[in-house]
Order: sequence, then structure tokens, then C-alpha cells
Amino acid sequence: MRKPDGKIVLLGDMNVGKTSLLQRYMERRFPDTVSTVGGAFYLKPWRSYNISIWDTAGREQFHGLGSMYCRGAVAVILIYDVNHPQSLLELEDRFLGLTDTASTDCLFAIVGNKVDLVEAGAADSREKEGHGPGTAGGGGGGSPKVPKPVQLEDAVALYNKILKYKMLDEKDVPAAEQMCFETSAKTGYNVDLLFETLFDMVVPVILRQRAQGPPQTVDVTSCKTPRRTRSGCCS
Amino acid sequence: MMSTKAFTLVSAVGWELLAGDKERVHVECVECCGKNLYVGTRDCVVHHFLLEERALPTGTATFSAAKQLHRHLGFRKPVNELRAASALNRLLVLCDNSITLVNMMSLEPVPSGARIKGAAALALNENPVNGDPFCVEVCIISVKRRTIQLFLVYEDRVQIVREVSTPEQPLAVAVDGDFLCLALTTQYIILNYNTGFSQDLFPYCSEEKRPIVKRIGRQEFLLAGPGGLGMFATVAGISQRAPVHWSENVIGAAICFPYVIALDDEFITVHSMLDQQQKQTLPFKEGHILQDFEALQVMYRRILQQAGFIQFAQLQFLEAKELFRSGQLDVRELISLYPFLLPTSSSFTRSHPPLHEYADLNQLTQGDQDKMAKCKRFLMSYLNEVRSTEVANGYKEDIDTALLKLYAEADHDSLLDLLVTENSCLLTDSAAWLEKHNKYFALGLLYHYNNQDAAAVQLWVNIVNGDIHDSTRSDLYEYVVDFLTYSLDQELVWKYADWVLQKSEEVGVQVFTKRPLDEQQNSFNPDSVITCLKKYPKALVKYLEHLVIDRSLQKEEYHTQLALLYLDEVLRQKSGTSSKAAEASEIQLKLQHLLQKSDLYRVHLLIDRIRGAGLPMESAILHGKLEEHEEALRILVHELRDFAAAEDYCLWRSEGRDPPYRQRLFHTLLAMYLQPGPTAPELAVAATDLLNHHATDFDAARVLPLLPGTWSVQLLHPFLAGAVRNSVHARRTAQVALGLARSENLIYKYDKMKLKGSSVQLSDKKLCQMCQNPFCEPVFVRYPNGGLVHTHCAASRHTNPSAPGPGART
Repeated sequence: MRKPDGKIVLLGDMNVGKTSLLQRYMERRFPDTVSTVGGAFYLKPWRSYNISIWDTAGREQFHGLGSMYCRGAVAVILIYDVNHPQSLLELEDRFLGLTDTASTDCLFAIVGNKVDLVEAGAADSREKEGHGPGTAGGGGGGSPKVPKPVQLEDAVALYNKILKYKMLDEKDVPAAEQMCFETSAKTGYNVDLLFETLFDMVVPVILRQRAQGPPQTVDVTSCKTPRRTRSGCCS
Repeated sequence: MMSTKAFTLVSAVGWELLAGDKERVHVECVECCGKNLYVGTRDCVVHHFLLEERALPTGTATFSAAKQLHRHLGFRKPVNELRAASALNRLLVLCDNSITLVNMMSLEPVPSGARIKGAAALALNENPVNGDPFCVEVCIISVKRRTIQLFLVYEDRVQIVREVSTPEQPLAVAVDGDFLCLALTTQYIILNYNTGFSQDLFPYCSEEKRPIVKRIGRQEFLLAGPGGLGMFATVAGISQRAPVHWSENVIGAAICFPYVIALDDEFITVHSMLDQQQKQTLPFKEGHILQDFEALQVMYRRILQQAGFIQFAQLQFLEAKELFRSGQLDVRELISLYPFLLPTSSSFTRSHPPLHEYADLNQLTQGDQDKMAKCKRFLMSYLNEVRSTEVANGYKEDIDTALLKLYAEADHDSLLDLLVTENSCLLTDSAAWLEKHNKYFALGLLYHYNNQDAAAVQLWVNIVNGDIHDSTRSDLYEYVVDFLTYSLDQELVWKYADWVLQKSEEVGVQVFTKRPLDEQQNSFNPDSVITCLKKYPKALVKYLEHLVIDRSLQKEEYHTQLALLYLDEVLRQKSGTSSKAAEASEIQLKLQHLLQKSDLYRVHLLIDRIRGAGLPMESAILHGKLEEHEEALRILVHELRDFAAAEDYCLWRSEGRDPPYRQRLFHTLLAMYLQPGPTAPELAVAATDLLNHHATDFDAARVLPLLPGTWSVQLLHPFLAGAVRNSVHARRTAQVALGLARSENLIYKYDKMKLKGSSVQLSDKKLCQMCQNPFCEPVFVRYPNGGLVHTHCAASRHTNPSAPGPGART
């Protein structure tokens, strides 16, 4: 078995489309999915690295496993359903805490999935009432009359909250505009962009972590080493 | 995806064997170790069975169990757990919160009565850290609350090594190295008992469901998670594999790489650890214990092997190879399909029942030559891959011999690689095969590998001579020379020395010149070699050059002989046509070089030989060797008219000599230049050049009177300037030296004054430092350190009484 160089974890409430997003990207298809049990992962070769991407179960029952999946992750993708404001709130309330075990320089991406329903709904609403039932993962369906219950700005606001929560300086991390996406697993809209943007950002993190040694020792060295070198080159 | 049939349920022990005449018996635990099966029951009895596996013609296996004995442990409690420690021949029995050590065969407790008390559960460390093979690391959940204890268990004693407390009550434990994987009341954790560092894994409600903790390999565990998940976790708290999905009411789990087997109240399920898919389901009601058992793997391997042969017959070689490898196929099964490949001496017989239905490759390919060739190529690559792995253990001879045969038949380059590296090719079988395929060079290599160098060389010589035909190497002659050069078989080298020299004197002589030096001192000493080379003059020259130039041997006869051989050759070429002028000068240069550099040859002998031969340069060198500088310079200046050579001569002969000697030589040459005669103008130019180039090598004062008055100062400017500068420098150096000497003298004078300045008083109280007697006469010896002794004492011991050194007296 190839050993992954870095780990990316997908988190989010049930039925937001985590599995569908991942399958769209990895298998280029949009099959009906059943509710994920436990977790699953893919290994994606990117440049000379192998990146493992973990799909997690959104169900409350498996919530306790999240911390373990996130341990040592180089990036976390937080996914919500643009048609369900609650799914965005859940990210902050339930899922953000799970990322405490991720690596200290973990990247965060916030993804609003199922934008196809909004657009289709907005277009269809003039002609028809409602729209066809979604798939198992995408059936929720927001009110078709309201174009988009969750706006991209809401995601940006959450991103900035996360930075505060993690006590990260905005200057040290990618800007919110770069890290907030709206996607559709069904049409494939922005899916490649999401994953590939993230892969490119993750490679330097992997390199940096390698240079710092095994992740178990990061706690001690990562706070001390930079300080020491800074004073070293200024003197 | 449930197409795999990796496991079959086989009944091993019938009910009546366990129950005997009792109405009912309740099995609490089982343990399997090799062919030994142990069963612990609720009524405190341990049963011991011996399992015998028999393969059925259908490919499955059946087990028969022979009851050995059973023993009642003497409590009224159930036997909770059994663990075999085969290295100690001990069975660990947990019963009534106490772990007893019993003999694996007799089930008798050890005489020392060693036991671990207060244990609620136990786990063996399969990845022990202490390194003692006759000691087992056992971890127990103590009956003390929130306590884990670690023990070392020996044949007849136990030793507690550590006790760690846990944040909550532990319910299940597995160990790997320093790491404990614990199921606590509300969560799973990893605890490093060495550092005390604890790593949370995930929460789990033990009240709802019994936790499961299994070690699956180095630093990795399998845990029962929420929703019937089998979760994988490393000691770092990371999940590297996706979970497997069991049913909610899973009771137990076992590992049989690459499978995870789980038991619930209705089924045994088999999942692959590699893709997490469920592979097989076996209905099995009312099971309540699941324990690993190696025999399952034996059957599984057989299935893989059979599958491999099916793929092989369809020429699906990649798939076949993978199956053979994972099924750990005895490679000879595969080799035996190919006619004549297994050595005649091989003891192999195909497994019964057979793994496939083919008699041999001919039947399998139905005579299709193309298919046959493909199969052979596959076997070649497969054998080449496995020959250095553990698969080859015990069959190396069969594998390597088969590989050799395949290579030889296919005219494959790797044949030679196989033979020159470590191999186990069987001699008689391989030799016959190589001969049949005209691989004589390779056959020689085989002989060589089997320490039959004489046979090898004879074979190669026959090829070079054209007696037998094998075009493997076009440079076989050079190869033989090289082979003999490094051969340790002296007799062999002498035997073929004439042959290699007759083929080529220059190349053949390498047998002697390139030998390792230590050998050249013994059997291949120069005198023996020179005797051998008498018939081969070119080889002899090369050999003497090796002795004189490369090895710098300081022996007169070698130097003389080499010089004479050179001379002969020069003379021979001179007498011949002049077309070889270039070559003539080359050998002449060698001769001159030798004459100049060597001091060992017999000069007179050479002068006699050279006389009248028209070799002025050589005779000049020889005269120079005899210190007959005037004669040498005369030849150079008047016969050869080579002024540069004359100058070089002066430098050469004065090398390492004192400056006056050098001056004398240069003056001799100058005098020769300044002699009146018909060629005076030309010589005058040489003289000025000499003076100007070597100003420092002349005594200017002696030169000036010799020079003709007509020469201008301008002409000799470099010489004169150099001479003046030299003389001024000499004067100043002398002045400095004089000054230094004076000051040194002053220092000594000062020391002397100081020493003389003090007086020495002799009285009765002063004693000689050596004999400790008073001085009776006014004569004494005083050492620089002030010590006074009798003169006779000082004479008897010429040492300073307290410090060694010359007895400087005053």
C-alpha cells in the first residue's frame, strides 16, 4: 500500500453531498449514494505526492470518529448545502471542534454544494412549481422561490470566524475569497477547481511539515524553531 | 463483491469429545497453537486436543481431533482465557482472577507455583520489547480499579515490570511494543506505558456494547466502533484504513491478513483489510467466541495456488504471478510443468491432490510453439524474481538449475550473469545441458564456480584454438589471460603460460606482470619467471620493465639485462632499414632514460658494448655515470654539438650534489666552450647563453679572467647582474649570521659570569649528596643545580643526583 504524504478530510452535516463531491472528482460520475457509514478514503496522486482524501459520515452517530480522522490533516474541507442555512451553522457548532486535532498549519476550505438546485430552481420557478426530487444525497431541496438561501458572503464570514477561532493571522493564511467555493457535484461545477486548488496549496504544507520532522513533535519545535531562527538572522 | 471463498467452516472437535458423559458443557474460551487446540469450559476444565489436517480430493481439508487429556483446575469458576506461549511450553490460564502457568502437554501447573494474581483480563505482547526469546510480555487488567499491570513471564516465574493507572476503568486491552490500546468505559485510548503519554482515539459507549480491541500488526489496532464499524487506528491516533462495516451485534473479531473476520449471533463475515469490502459470509448461529487459527490460511493459500494455475494456463501471467506469490506456491510445482527443467536429482513430487490438471507444458499449450515460448519467458522472469527471496529457501538448486537451462536454451545474456554471481546450479545436470546447447564458455564459468578451474581453462583454450565452437566472447584470449592473472592455482598458470605467450607475447606476459604483488614474491618470483620468458624476448622486455620501472626492484642483473635488451633492439633496428626511424627513437629514448635514472647496471659492460656503435648520447651518459665529465661533455659538445644536452648533463649530474661540485661541472663546460678552435664563434654563443642562464652556478671571480676581452658588458649583462646580486646577497647573509653569532656568544658569556659569581663554602656540615659523607678534601664536583658531591662519587655515577643529564661541572 502506498503511504499517503498528506491527508485531506471532508466534514459536514449529513446529506450535504460530501460523498457525491468526492465521487464526482475521483470517478467523474454522479451516482446515487447511500448515507456514508463510518468513512472511506481515496488516494490521489498529485505531482510527486500521494494525497489521501477522507470522506466522513455526517450522521450524528459517527460524530465521535471525526477527531481521529482529522488528526494530522493538512487540509479540511467544510461542506454545507447552499439550500440549507442550518447546514452552514452546523459547521461552526459541531464540526469546527473536530478539527482541533488537525495539524497546526491546516488549511480550511468552505464549500457550498448543490448550487445546481438553486439555479435550476430559480429558472424553473417561473414555469413550474418545484422541481424533481433530488438524489439520496441531494434531495433536501430548499424553497425554489428564494434564489439562494445561503450566500457566499455567509461562507466568507464563517471562514473569518474560523481564523479567529484558530487564532490565525489573516496575513498568514489564504484569503477567504480563495478558500470559499460554491459547487455542484451533480453538474461538476467548480468541483475540479475546488480539489485542485486545494492540492496545490497543500503541497507546500506537506513540504514544510517534512522539514520540521514528524508531526508528533510539532507542538514543541514549531513554536520554538522559528523564533530562534528569526533572532539568528537579525543579529 | 462477495465472490471470494477464502474461508471454509470445518468442524474440528465434536460435541461428544468435549462433553463426555456430561449433560452439557459450556465453552468459555479456545486457544490454538500449532496443532494444539485448548478449550476452557465453564466448569473449570481445560481440554487439550491435537488437530490433524487432511486434505480431501475436492481441495478442501478436514480435521480430526485427537483428545490428549483434560484437567480440572480445582476451582468452581469458569476458565476465562487461555493463551499459549509455545517458546516456554506454557499455557497461561486465567481463572478466578488468577493466571496460572501450566505445561502445554501435561497441563500440570509449574512446580514453582508461579502465578499472576488479581487479573481480570490478559493480553500477550506479540511485538515484545525486551528481546529475550524465553520470556513473554503479558499485560493484564487488574482487579484493582483503573489499573493495568505488565509482567514478564518466564518458564517458571513471573515478574511485574510496571503498573500504570488509567483515567477510567479499562475493559479490554491489546499490546504492541510499548503501546497499550485500551477500551475504557467511555472511549478508546492508546497509552504508551513507557512514557505515560496517552492519546484519545474516539468515544465509545461500553455500556451499550462490549468493546473489541485487536492488534492487527505493528503499531496498528482494530476496534469496535459506533454503528457496527470496525475501526483501524495506529498508535499515533490516526486511521490509515477506512473502517469495515460489521453488523451492530458483533461479538468478536479476528485477523487473518488480509482479512478481518467478525462473528455475530448469526454469521461469520469476512472483510478485506485492503479495500474494506465484505468478501464472504458464513452462516454460523450461536457462535460466541472467535479465535485466530493458522490452518485457515493453509487452505486459503491452496486456493490461491489453484487460481494461479488457472490464470497461468490462460497465459495471464501477471495475475498468475501475483496469485503464486500470495499463495506462497512451492516454485517447483511450476517448474515441474516444464519438461527436463528440474534436476534429475530433485526429490520433488507434485502435491496431491494436484493443483491443476496438466501433465506438462506440451499438453497445456497443445504444442503451440508460440505459447510455449511465452510460458518459458514467464518462468524465466518469475524464477529470476523469486530466486533471491525466501520463496527459494530450500529449493535454490532446483530454481537455479532450471533458470540456467532456460537461459541456455533461449541464448539469454543473463546466463553469464547467473554463473558469475552466487548461484546453486547443480554441476552435472547443468554441464550436460550447456554442452548440449554449445554453451562452452558458460560451461567454463560453471566449472570455475565449482572450483574446477583446470577444466574451465582447458575448455576456453579449446575454443580459442578453434577446436570447439562458441562465439560468446570474441575476446576470449584476453579473458583467459585475465583469468590466469588472478588465478590462485599456480600450477594452472605455469601450465598455460607457454600457450598464452605463444598467442601474444605482449598480452600473455600480463599473467606475470599484473599478478597481485604478494604472489610475485613466492611461486612467481622474478628468477623463475625470467627463466620461463627466455624464449620470448618481447615478453621478457615487458617483464623486466615491470620489475625495474613499476616495482623499482634494486637488483643489478635486472637493470643490466634490461639495458642490454634495449641496446640489442636499438642496434638491431639501426642495422636494419631506416624506415622504422620513429620506433627506433622510442626504444632509444627508453634506453637513455634507463641509463640516466638507474645506478645499478654494469656501466663498463655497456660501455664496451656501445663502443663504435655510433651511439654518442648513450656513451656520454655512461661516461657521466663513471664521473668522466670531460669525456662526456666532449662528446656532447664536439661530437653531437648539442649544447642544450650539455647543459642538461650538468644539471643531471649535479643533482643532489653540493654547490662546489655543480660549479666545477659548469666551469668544465664553460672552459670547453672557450677553447680556441675552428668552431669558436658558435661555441662563444653557447658560452654566453650558459653564463646568462646559470649565473648562480658560476664563481664569477673565476669566470671573469677566462672571458675574452672583446666581449661587451651588454652581452653578459644577465650574468653579471646575477653575479653581483649573488655576491651582495652572500655578503649580507654572512653579516646577519655574524651578528647573530655574536649575540649568542654574549648570552653564553653572561651565563658564565653568573655561574662564576657565587662562591661555594665547604664545611663539616655539608655532605656529599651521593654518599652522604662529609667532604675531607677541598675538592668537589658541583652540578648546575647546586648539588655538591665527591669527585669519586661523581666519577662512579655519571649522573646528576637529582636530575638526569650531563654532569656539567664547575
